[in-house]
Amino acid sequence: MKLQPPDIRRLLADYIVSHQEDFYRLAFSYVKNRDAALDVVQESIVKALAKADTLREPAYLRTWFYRILLNESMNHFRRLSRILPLEDLEQQSAPAGRDPGERLDLYDAIDRLDLKEQAVIRLRFFEDMKLEEIARATGANLNTVKSRLYKALKKLRDMTGEDLRDE
Amino acid sequence: MNEKFQDAKNRYRSADIPPELDFAVASALREGERRRRQRRWQSRTLASLAACCASFVLLVNASPAFASAVYQVPVLGDLARVVTVTEYSIADGERLIDVRLPAVEDTGHSDLEQRINTEIQTRIDAVLAEAQARAEETKEAFVATGGDPDEFMPVIIDVDYEVKCRNDQYLSFVIFKTETKASAYTEFFCYNIDLETGTDLTLQDMLGPNYKEIANQVIREEIARRSQDPDNVYFDGTDGIQGFQSIAADQPFYINEAGNPVVVFEKYEIAPGYMGQQEFEIPVPQA
Repeated sequence: MKLQPPDIRRLLADYIVSHQEDFYRLAFSYVKNRDAALDVVQESIVKALAKADTLREPAYLRTWFYRILLNESMNHFRRLSRILPLEDLEQQSAPAGRDPGERLDLYDAIDRLDLKEQAVIRLRFFEDMKLEEIARATGANLNTVKSRLYKALKKLRDMTGEDLRDE
Repeated sequence: MNEKFQDAKNRYRSADIPPELDFAVASALREGERRRRQRRWQSRTLASLAACCASFVLLVNASPAFASAVYQVPVLGDLARVVTVTEYSIADGERLIDVRLPAVEDTGHSDLEQRINTEIQTRIDAVLAEAQARAEETKEAFVATGGDPDEFMPVIIDVDYEVKCRNDQYLSFVIFKTETKASAYTEFFCYNIDLETGTDLTLQDMLGPNYKEIANQVIREEIARRSQDPDNVYFDGTDGIQGFQSIAADQPFYINEAGNPVVVFEKYEIAPGYMGQQEFEIPVPQA
């Protein structure tokens, strides 16, 4: 279904307002800071609205927006990591799985994955996206998403010692 | 869903939503809409212009550090509509790259658009390919000298642009790429295009046949003036380093808001590195 630009924009604005809490949670899961997460959400919305005219297919609205949101979240995270002193970072992302006796909570283990694996896991399990949708939202092809998911699950199993099948 | 994931999801969903979120979202929506309108208005303005000139200066800066982030290059200006044609990001052990390539639209000269757009695309592609090769080399060298590959800081590349002039005569913008790495160098690629004829615009077109003398005179006076401040140092022939002699026939320049060409010298070209890139505005002679 093709819509006229004003309709798409209204749809987009409605979508954003009704899902703002989801956006905040996803941003927060990366930046772990309330003000930074608010910034990320705001910046993503401004960008999305400013380029609303490039969105032609309403069916892709959600994944189109998530792609912007993920990019902003990851960029912000990288900027933060560059500003923080090295010691702080080392403490935060401390030795993952080096001590085989140490078992992490799954939620904390996800933070130790690399940024793109985090995205796949969160979209898949927290936002309940299909793999095809994850591919669109991350700008990767379907096979890349599958192998990222597989690798991420394996890492998470190693870190948590839990059986984590994607059913 | 797996029970462990359900637990993690519950924890994920339990993040406190700050009360400011509503307000933040509403103001972002307004700001986004404002920017979108601005763009549309800009494109209409351009369409109505009988004659305008575009000057395109691509500056490439490379400086020390590691990761590689290419910034988005959004709208070019008020006069021409610019759309994003390519968008991708790469993040791996060697680089952090985020690219958004612009293209010009609705200038009324499709040949010209095609030429500018192809040039931007080819330029940035080549520049990124080089940066990528350098990032890989750097990482190899880092690992070969006993560095832990996991500790390698990725190369960051920043590509951004600045609109220098947008009036009913000229459109001038500068794209710069900043690569943060251990050694620094600067490279410029310049295109100055007359939108009316679709040909390259030169300093001679703007300043007349005596453009070299005119520009050199202004630059020499300006160097003398700036040198009065002891913090400003230009090469002057001492220590065997030749100072400013004359602009080159193809000296990079952009056009500023006043419609005057601004000549740009690369870092190190006429002054020590800490002076950075040097710019000189050359007033257009009144006929």
